[in-house]
Amino acid sequence: MGSFVFHLGKYIMLLWRVFSKPEKFSIYRRRLFDEMISLGLDSLGIIMIISLFMGAVITIQTAANIDSAFIPSYTIGFTTRQSSILEFSPTIMALILAGKVGSNIASEIGLMRVSEQIDALEIMGVNSASFLILPKILASVFINPFLIVISMFVSIGGGYLIAMATDIVTITDYVEGIQLDFRPFHVVYALIKTSVFAFLLTSIPAYNGYYASGSALDVGRASTAGVVNSMILILITNYVLTQLLLI
Amino acid sequence: MIEVAGLSKAFGDKEVLKDISVTFDAGKTNLIIGASGSGKSTLARCLIGLVDPDTGTVLYDGRNFIEMNMKERKMIRREVGFLFQGSALFDFMTVEQNVQFPLDMLTSMTAKEKVVRVAEVLERVELSHAGKLFPGELSGGMKKRVGIARAISPNPTYLFCDEPNSGLDPQTSIVIDKLIHEITLEYNTTTVIITHDMNSVIDIGDHILFIHNGRKSWEGDKVSILETENKEVLDFVYASEFMKKARK
Repeated sequence: MGSFVFHLGKYIMLLWRVFSKPEKFSIYRRRLFDEMISLGLDSLGIIMIISLFMGAVITIQTAANIDSAFIPSYTIGFTTRQSSILEFSPTIMALILAGKVGSNIASEIGLMRVSEQIDALEIMGVNSASFLILPKILASVFINPFLIVISMFVSIGGGYLIAMATDIVTITDYVEGIQLDFRPFHVVYALIKTSVFAFLLTSIPAYNGYYASGSALDVGRASTAGVVNSMILILITNYVLTQLLLI
Repeated sequence: MIEVAGLSKAFGDKEVLKDISVTFDAGKTNLIIGASGSGKSTLARCLIGLVDPDTGTVLYDGRNFIEMNMKERKMIRREVGFLFQGSALFDFMTVEQNVQFPLDMLTSMTAKEKVVRVAEVLERVELSHAGKLFPGELSGGMKKRVGIARAISPNPTYLFCDEPNSGLDPQTSIVIDKLIHEITLEYNTTTVIITHDMNSVIDIGDHILFIHNGRKSWEGDKVSILETENKEVLDFVYASEFMKKARK
C-alpha cells in the first residue's frame, strides 16, 4: 500500500511537470505532429486488421450461439454493432495500444534516461518531462478517437464480409441489425472512454520509463511494468466509466 | 569563473564529497582528476545542480547557484554547455538537429541565423559533411565532436566535459582534447573537465584539481603535477608501467 501511494504521488508530481507551461510552443507543435504519426498513424494497420477479424468473429460466434426460432437473425448485426461500439473497439483496442504504444514509450524514454539524454535536456534548462511526455499524451488523446471510430467501422465491416461470404445471416438481416435502435450516446461514451484510456496508456508507461535507472535490463523491466500497470488501470477505469455513464 | 566553497555531499552514511573548495577560472581548461569512485563526477553534478550538495556554495561569476530557485537555476543552465561521457545525443534527431536544438530552445535566433550557426560549429568540429546523419551512424569520436558542437552552439560561458576521452583511441583523444582546449581559449569559457586520462592532464591541464576519497588532495597545473611529492597524486599519475618507466 505504501509503495502504491509513493508511486501515485510521484506520478502526480510528474504530471504536474508535464502540464507546466512549455518553453517553446513551436518546438512542441512539431513534436506533437511527429507523435501523432508515430503513435497514431503507425498503429492504423494493426488496428484495422484486428478490428476486421474481431467483427467477423463476433458475427460468427453470435450466429453460432443463437439457436432459437424466437430470436430474429438481425440480432447478429445488432450484437456485432453494440459489441464493437461499446466494448471491443474502445477497450480491446486500448489494451492492444497499451502493449504496442506503451512499451514503445516506456523503452524510448527509459533509454533516454539511462543514456543521459534526459540529463542533457535538464542541463539545457529544458523541462524534460514536458518536452518528452506532453506531446505523446496530447497526440494520443487527439488521434486515438479517430482510430477507434475507424475500428468500429472496420469491425462492423468484418461482420458484413462474413454475411456476404457465408449463409449464417443474410446481408439484409445484418444491415437491419446494425441500424436497429442506434443510440448516438453509445459512440460518445466510447469516445470518452477512448480519450481517458489514451491518457492512461501514454502517461503510465512514460512515468515508468522516465524513472527507469541503471541498465538496459532495467529499461526492459520499466517497459513491462508500464504496459502491465496501464492495462490494469484501463480495465479498472473501464468499469468505473461504464458504471458512471451507462447505468 | 566558478568558485566552490566548503562543498560536501553524503549519500546515506557515505560521505562522497568532503569540504571541497576550489576556483575554476575562465579561459582555462580546469581538470578534475581522481580514481574511479573518488567523487569527481558527483562534484560535477553538484556544480550543475543535478545533485544538491548538503553544504557549501557554488558561485557562477558571483551568483550563488545553490541558493537559487528552479527558475533562476534554469537561467544559469542556459549559460552552460555540457559534454556527456556517452555524448547523450538525441537519437531521434540528425546531427544538425542535435546541434540546433539548444538554439531552438534557448535563443530567439531566426531560422536563418540558426542555420548559419549550426554550419559554423559543425565546421569548427570538422563535421560539416555529417549534418544529415543520425547519432546511430556515427563513430565514437564523431559523437563526441557532435556533443562538443551541441554544447558550444549557444555560446556558453561555462563548459563541462564528463570524461570526454572515455572509449576513444589515443589519437582521437588527442584531437578531442585539442578541440576543447582551443574552444576554451577562443570563446574564453570556464571549462571544467572530469577525467582520469593522464594524456589529457599533461596536454591541456591549465589547472588541475585532484580528488581522493571525496576530498581535495592536491591542486596545481600540468607542470607541477609531475613534480609534486603528494603520495596520492604520485600513486595516481604513475600507476601505469609506461608512466613509471617514463619517470625513471
